[in-house]
Amino acid sequence: MNGLNDYIPIVGQDVIDQLHRLAARLTKRRFVHINSTRTGGGVAEILSRAVPLLNQLGLETNWEVIIGDPEFFEITKAMHNGLQGDRVRFTPRMMEHYREINRENAKRFTWEADFVLVHDPQPAALIEDLRDRAAKWVWRCHIDASRPQRHVWKFLRDYVTRYDASVFSMSSFAQNLPHPQYLIHPSIDPLSDKNRDLTPTEVQAVLDRLGIRRDRPLILQVSRFDSFKDPMGVIQAFKMVRRHTPCQLLLVGGEATDDPEGPEIFARVKEAAADDPDITILLLPPDSHYEVNALQRAADVIVQKSVREGFGLTVTEAMWKGKPVIGGAVGGIVLQVRDYHTGFLVHSPEGCAFRIRYLLHRPEIARRMGKLAKEFVRRHFLITRHIRDYLTLMLFIDNPGSRFIEL
Amino acid sequence: MNDILQQSARDPFWFRDCFLMRMPIGRRASNLRELLQILREVSEDVLYYHIFQSRLALTDPEIEYPNDFALWAANALQDTKLAEKLSSFDPFEYGNMTDVREAVLEILEEYLWDLPYVPWARPGFELYLCQAQTAVIQSPTPAYTLAEFCQGLQRAGLDSIYYHFFEAPWRLGVSKVDDFSFWIEYNFDLPKLVKDIRQIDVYFYSLPELRATLLAMLNEHMGVYCERTE
Repeated sequence: MNGLNDYIPIVGQDVIDQLHRLAARLTKRRFVHINSTRTGGGVAEILSRAVPLLNQLGLETNWEVIIGDPEFFEITKAMHNGLQGDRVRFTPRMMEHYREINRENAKRFTWEADFVLVHDPQPAALIEDLRDRAAKWVWRCHIDASRPQRHVWKFLRDYVTRYDASVFSMSSFAQNLPHPQYLIHPSIDPLSDKNRDLTPTEVQAVLDRLGIRRDRPLILQVSRFDSFKDPMGVIQAFKMVRRHTPCQLLLVGGEATDDPEGPEIFARVKEAAADDPDITILLLPPDSHYEVNALQRAADVIVQKSVREGFGLTVTEAMWKGKPVIGGAVGGIVLQVRDYHTGFLVHSPEGCAFRIRYLLHRPEIARRMGKLAKEFVRRHFLITRHIRDYLTLMLFIDNPGSRFIEL
Repeated sequence: MNDILQQSARDPFWFRDCFLMRMPIGRRASNLRELLQILREVSEDVLYYHIFQSRLALTDPEIEYPNDFALWAANALQDTKLAEKLSSFDPFEYGNMTDVREAVLEILEEYLWDLPYVPWARPGFELYLCQAQTAVIQSPTPAYTLAEFCQGLQRAGLDSIYYHFFEAPWRLGVSKVDDFSFWIEYNFDLPKLVKDIRQIDVYFYSLPELRATLLAMLNEHMGVYCERTE
């Protein structure tokens, strides 16, 4: 496990010193994170890194996980999709089972804390039984809840309003709530397998193993095969580029198990790529972080042509590898890809093709944009900034109502 | 020169870290008329965030437009003329945020007045308005001499640079005066250095550029003591 000092060569001594100074104001505070899984998914990934670092900083930090039966997780998945705006079935019986599992978990927990950060909807109802266990409760929403289904949000809102504050990943996700709402962007860990530096030999070994040749420029999109990531649009753009410039397209990802249109999209992608020697589809297991890292480093241009996106951490990862990203102008991609600086924002397959050609023909500009992209991520989207935000958040929760505090 | 480097100040300089937490206020502008209306109604904290604090929260890697409204006009409304007008106004010329708000409203009202249409943001580029809470922490060791000041500056985070340059004029109540030159002026007889620092066009620099410029300036005046090693 990496220690705080391992981040010094990446973010600088000043950033780590600041974390220590902030943490000194919170020393010995008990901090509990609660979510619904210890492995898999972005929340578990960030907690597995952030919790040890918070402990190193002197905060007594624990990570608790709620337990539920398959029915509970079906229900919370429906809630998740409903918060994202999908039409879902959410019945009074489902609501009751959700409450029941939260009540059972509440009986099991023995912790006491100064701050509790409850991640996403699954454990949100714990506050009903455990309010007195912690001085301050904060609800951390990682979901794009900008246009939730009303009945799902109405149910969840009843719990969320009991919290002292809530935290969203983007301004557009914020809700009408009676307590302070904060903004904390997601982050990536530069020392994880997915993002750490690789040598050219390591990159080449992965390419050899996966049968990818570097004899022509490589265009890459890493994403699940679902309609929101628009893989068909990427193929369309690629075919427009190839009419003018020899290149190859690599689509890497997993199947979308929770998108009803997923299988159909994947079938269409496979069909479109079937007789095309320049298009490769790689279905990789969810834990292929090292391979994805190598492929991103090998790519000449990275595309994320989403038509709907939460934050888009794949964009962050690509930028961290010093690559200019061509992204759909949606969600968090707009926040990360600063048009003409760290990449290009596009609105159509034609726009995507145009920008791919632009970057392939101007490697110097591509390198310069990639460099800026990496610096942008270094400053704003690494885990050290996430830790800093958590610590600052606790300072403000400790001093409610203050617009300005001097310590 | 070494004498002045070791000369003790009457009052030490305390570097301060400045931590922001952004708070979305739940309002968004999809077009220029909506922005105008919102800016009339919201608290001054919202304007303060989008004109000054946003550069600490999330800045473009290269500063082209110096505040969020100009950036939004250029990127979202794709209206370069408006972006130019919003970039050229200097918020440091006003004594308080009430006057800054009036100046921004005046630019927007005048611009809309002559326009036969209302500029709309392209989809996905709506402006979500924010304000921020700020926590300031004093560094553990004060700088009594210019040599110590240079060492502190090399270690200072970008938020510290922001705090001492951008927040200072409001706190000190003096336009275009920053904490650094204020301290040097009060404690040492270095009028040229003070003048040079005050001539930095801070509003058009990114924070890393500002730190590098200040260090270069000190280096020029005092030699090798102020080189930052990245």
